[in-house]
Amino acid sequence: MFKRFFKHVWVQNLTLLAMVGLVYYYFAYHFEFKYDFDWAVFFVEGQYGHMGRLMIDGLNTTLSLTFYSAAIALVMGTVFGLARLSKFKPVYWLATCYVELFRNTPLLIQLFFWNFALPYAFPEEIRFKLFDLNFEYWVSVFGCGFFTGAFMAEIIRAGIQSIPKGLLEASYSSGLTFPQTLRKVVLPLAFREIIPPLGSEFLNNMKNTSLAMTIGVTELFWSMQEVLSLTYRTFEAFIAATAIYLLLSLIIAAIMNIVNEKLKIMPSDKTTGLRKIADVIFKPFGFMAGCLEYIFWYFRRSPEKKTVSPLARLCKDCFKWTVTASKALFLACLAYLLYKLGMALAGFNYEIIRANLPALLVWRFPSGDETEFFMGLGGLAGSLLMAVISISGSFLVGLVVGMGRTAKSHAIRIPCTMYIELVRGIPCILVILWFFQVVLQFVFKLEIHAFWAGTIALTFFFGAYIAETVRGGIQNIPPGQVEAAKASGLTYFQTMRKIILPQALKQMLPALVGMFIAAFKDTSLVYIIGVMDLTRAAYAVNNRTMIYPFEIYTTVLVLYFIFSYVMSLYTKRLERKLSPEQVRIEM
Amino acid sequence: MRVLKITAMAALLLMAASVAFAGPTYDRVMSTKVVKAGISNQGIPFGFIDDKNEWVGFDVDMATEIAKRLDAKLEKVVVNNNTRISFVQTNPPKVDMVLSNMTHKRVRDEKIDFSITYFFDGQKFLAKKGAVKDVKDLANMKIGSMQGTTSIVNATAYLKELGNPNPKVTGYDGEVAMFEALRSGRVQAISTDSTILLGYAAKVPGQFELVGDFISDEPYGVGLPQDDSAWRDAVNFAIQDIWNDGTYLKIYDKWFGPDSKYPFPLTSKIEMWP
Repeated sequence: MFKRFFKHVWVQNLTLLAMVGLVYYYFAYHFEFKYDFDWAVFFVEGQYGHMGRLMIDGLNTTLSLTFYSAAIALVMGTVFGLARLSKFKPVYWLATCYVELFRNTPLLIQLFFWNFALPYAFPEEIRFKLFDLNFEYWVSVFGCGFFTGAFMAEIIRAGIQSIPKGLLEASYSSGLTFPQTLRKVVLPLAFREIIPPLGSEFLNNMKNTSLAMTIGVTELFWSMQEVLSLTYRTFEAFIAATAIYLLLSLIIAAIMNIVNEKLKIMPSDKTTGLRKIADVIFKPFGFMAGCLEYIFWYFRRSPEKKTVSPLARLCKDCFKWTVTASKALFLACLAYLLYKLGMALAGFNYEIIRANLPALLVWRFPSGDETEFFMGLGGLAGSLLMAVISISGSFLVGLVVGMGRTAKSHAIRIPCTMYIELVRGIPCILVILWFFQVVLQFVFKLEIHAFWAGTIALTFFFGAYIAETVRGGIQNIPPGQVEAAKASGLTYFQTMRKIILPQALKQMLPALVGMFIAAFKDTSLVYIIGVMDLTRAAYAVNNRTMIYPFEIYTTVLVLYFIFSYVMSLYTKRLERKLSPEQVRIEM
Repeated sequence: MRVLKITAMAALLLMAASVAFAGPTYDRVMSTKVVKAGISNQGIPFGFIDDKNEWVGFDVDMATEIAKRLDAKLEKVVVNNNTRISFVQTNPPKVDMVLSNMTHKRVRDEKIDFSITYFFDGQKFLAKKGAVKDVKDLANMKIGSMQGTTSIVNATAYLKELGNPNPKVTGYDGEVAMFEALRSGRVQAISTDSTILLGYAAKVPGQFELVGDFISDEPYGVGLPQDDSAWRDAVNFAIQDIWNDGTYLKIYDKWFGPDSKYPFPLTSKIEMWP
């Protein structure tokens, strides 16, 4: 009876309203907040200056950081994504190294490396010149750009490789040349694959710029912390920063949605309103492409022309020689780079690394005193433990929320959607601070160690991402199976448990392992709340040894890399096991 | 019906969590015999990680002594410049007291309470030896300081006073990053409380020197939760007892005495109530 009653839409909406009402009632009347908001803090000139202006300045820096690093990422991604398809092996190796190295280490450590270690690679005069050029800002621009570029390279490679070999063979056998095939067959199809994930990389890039704060760039997150520590207005600063980040995410998501709508294949008589808007926006691009197409057609090579003029032959020969020469030059550069790298590695002070390795691996375990977390556990072991716990927790959260998002009932779907979209719109580091300083403290009144606060925050954060993966998996199941299950008398939960989830989870497995790598890398962010994870331990060790930043940060990079890379290899094996047919297109 | 039961259980759990005990700090410390102290782990020589990966420093020793006088067990919690106020400001406070080389300022006193001053410091500039001939040179130099401290505000104001209307002062994330900036040449001088400058300068002896006079007074107080006078009295009495029986001088000499790494003469006497 209860169930049938719940099927009415008005009952669902009422339930939703009641839930909102209950939450409001609880926080407005029962909850002892003991905090009075003072939003004037952003609008008046205080003792330490105008806080609103500080936030605006921060927003400005965040925006310019985002733009520059996105442009760099796009260039790097395209170049290295294509390089990953190269037949010339050294290019392929270099591109693979770049992609794997940058994807499998945390951005925070990369930024530390560029900022603290890299300057010492230059002689003093050049170093001082560099520092005059707003060094921290450009380090974070290039750091974020290279990091995001590695992800984009993978997306672009996967997009181009997703084209079935049969299509290529068909286009070649119907007489199209290579450039024609590229323009008419490969790129249009590849773009459809590439652009949606590329958009979410732009979004991630925007969120990642918040890490520039750690090296002293005065962007939005930095401004938020400055407001926090100058006015002690915790809530106002947090809420303002969160709102701004959400707004930025919303804008990027809206642009992405319009682009995706344009890419969708739909019959011309059934266009949606959004599609019409997208069509209008993209009209100039279409016009430009049309012109370009005409130019190509005009300069096409006539098929009758069989003889080759001597000049053309000379050009062709020249081109061939240039290609060979540039290949040789590339090899020479690569060899020089390797030699330099080898020399640098040989010149390392391995004493320092050996002396500090135990601290980096387990921190003070087992000799820590009783007030520390689990006998002083930290370092790599602490990071791994945190990643394992939080990803297990967020798997459960993600399963429930992901199912909830596909539910028909408004009362379940809307809260789940809100949770997912809210969390995906703000940077992880902000989620951690919210949990550590506000949620656990004020709302739940829990007194727990920073390690657990960080773990809970990461669980909450990755729950949203896993929920999206679960939703994707569920929606991939053919609807016929669900209907069949219903027809044979299974209930909703039985259908989920026996039919949908086993298949969906199998499909999701590689994505889940990928999520684990991401969680492992993001444990580096709990550094901000003082948990002695690998990053914080490296920071402490570097602080003590002072003059060996290269040694310390390289060791940490290697440690992060080994674990993430092994996991990513495992993901690839899983993927191959689950979908055996794969062809490597070469260009 | 099982759904209802689960919902009810969850609601009950939430209620139980929200009515957790939130009494005044003094009663809680006296009944549980545990005192939680927020201490920095980046501020040499107040609270930092030493060669044996132990967390030591002047503030750590002071906190240990205070806890001993209160007959309670000390639990150390890491705070940084951004969290040291908010951790005692929350209700119930995340930590019972904060010893994190924190200057007692009137603005801060609006949000939290402070004990009597337990350390006297002042802000100075640190630069490469011989780099600053005259204090006026500082005005046009790139200066590093720390985000979330009043040092950055003081330094900017001081440079403006010296005649540069648009001074270049960068706020780094903590002491380590700030000193690193000076060492690598990102900035020509850094500015914060002189003892911290001494602590970091001692890492590479002979390369750096303090320049100029104190540009501000920085009396350190123990940060305490607002409006809990029993707790504030207990901490104040403990600090005075530490001074009275000579323990203060012992701790002071250990960190700042003439034979220590960071010599800094003791100039004042803490407030004493007969």
